[in-house]
Amino acid sequence: MNLLVIFILPVIIVGITAYGLVKRVKIYEEFVVGAKDGFEIAVRIIPYLVAILFAIGMFRASGAMDWMILGLKPVLGFFGFPAEVLPMAIIRPLTGSGSVGVMADMIATYGEDSIFVKMAGTMFGSTETTFYVIAVYFGAVGVRKTKYAVQAGIAADITGAIMAVVVCYWLFS
Amino acid sequence: MLNYIWGGLIIFSLLFAVVNDANDIYSETWKNGEQIELIIDFPANADILKSQPIRFMLAGDSISHEARWRVVDDEVELVIPVTPTLPTHWKNVAENQESTRKQELRTTVISSNSLPGITPNIDGSATQPDSLSALTSPVETASGSKLTAQVVLPEVNFVKIRGITAAAFAMAEVAVTLALGLIGIMALWLGLMKIAEVSGLINIVVRGVRPFMKWLFPELPKDHPAIGMISLNLAANVLGLGNAATPLGIKAMEELQKLNPDKDSATNSMCMFLALNTSSVQLLPPVTLVAIMGLAVNELMVAITITTFFSTAVAIIVAKWYARRNPPLQIVTSDGSIVNIDASSDGITHSGNNPSKSEGK
Repeated sequence: MNLLVIFILPVIIVGITAYGLVKRVKIYEEFVVGAKDGFEIAVRIIPYLVAILFAIGMFRASGAMDWMILGLKPVLGFFGFPAEVLPMAIIRPLTGSGSVGVMADMIATYGEDSIFVKMAGTMFGSTETTFYVIAVYFGAVGVRKTKYAVQAGIAADITGAIMAVVVCYWLFS
Repeated sequence: MLNYIWGGLIIFSLLFAVVNDANDIYSETWKNGEQIELIIDFPANADILKSQPIRFMLAGDSISHEARWRVVDDEVELVIPVTPTLPTHWKNVAENQESTRKQELRTTVISSNSLPGITPNIDGSATQPDSLSALTSPVETASGSKLTAQVVLPEVNFVKIRGITAAAFAMAEVAVTLALGLIGIMALWLGLMKIAEVSGLINIVVRGVRPFMKWLFPELPKDHPAIGMISLNLAANVLGLGNAATPLGIKAMEELQKLNPDKDSATNSMCMFLALNTSSVQLLPPVTLVAIMGLAVNELMVAITITTFFSTAVAIIVAKWYARRNPPLQIVTSDGSIVNIDASSDGITHSGNNPSKSEGK
């Protein structure tokens, strides 16, 4: 598997170029035509990303997360959801760098072999930073009305958080 | 939905910031105005009316810290650089003080006394705060001179309110850095994809994945390049290739946008695509997780794969359920014609989906 990871990108890059050459495409010229959109798209994303990231940044800085965890703890505890992994479940859809921080924190607090770290790691690996993805992808094409994309993403995040707990209990204890 | 979540994040952040700050004031978290007694060591024959480097200890503590004795007009400040050996509360104060210099604590010396038990050279004791007349001359000893002083740490107030303001501005900048950081990698993949498009490689991919994609994206015309881009993006996600997945996903969104009659609103296909991406189909661990957890991540892969399977399934079901309630009225095919969507949409033929025919060769 590791070998696959090392080889896949160079193989794709070389493969596309070689196939183009075989098909007698003017590869250099076409590459440049395609690549020139890179800047424009990145710039187009900016307003969407600013909107999402500054709101999430404010929310995190306000300490609201601690209150949310405090409030959700008894409710989720009733269903057997461990409060220790709640910060990861909440922060994962919001920010990537934030969830890296939570992950590192949890490893320092509970140790690498703790079931909570395994649950948090599973959440980390199995869900995405939903709001970032939505901002970038819809931002790139200028779509402002996101319809039900957020609902679908949040449904996936909640399922991911719950299943991570269930699967880890099942596999590791 | 996003409007409400976005608004909620902003409004609640102010609300919670106020609650947290009020709580800080009520429970005196920052101990504003508290006098702390220090024992200050001067070098031999020091003139305490001059600014100079000194060392100090907290009363009842044996760790010696560096600081600078700073005389300004008729007041004395102790400028203490933040070091790991300082008390935790001091470090918190330094981090949250209003001053932009977080690396030092500027404490006001409000009074000083000669060390008890030793006769001072010049008689005097603490009287008026905030002025040099409150200072007594230090006691000369063999190695230097000592005196005790009462200092007050900088005031700390409204940490969270100032915090959310700072975070708003800081994150706005981060957003731009992130977006601009995408330029290079975007250009690389968009360029490669252009070659893949023109050479017909994408069409080969499209034909390979069509049966599966047809069920997920029923509104996409047969053989449309969007199908190819979507499957490449999903493949990159599955393999944990984050930095290839984003540009490919954006390219897929561009292809989907070409089919969108209302350029402002998401289509069902876009929402399904986003659902698949946010639930993050994954077979290999994401690079960032490997970076934090190291080898321990390997034993998580089974758990991650099972979890992802469920979250992706739910994302698909939710997207499908909403899609059924939001039937598209029409789509614009890539050659510009408007087609009403119905059961016969499979029969749409395309002339314009492969630009290579006109410009590639």
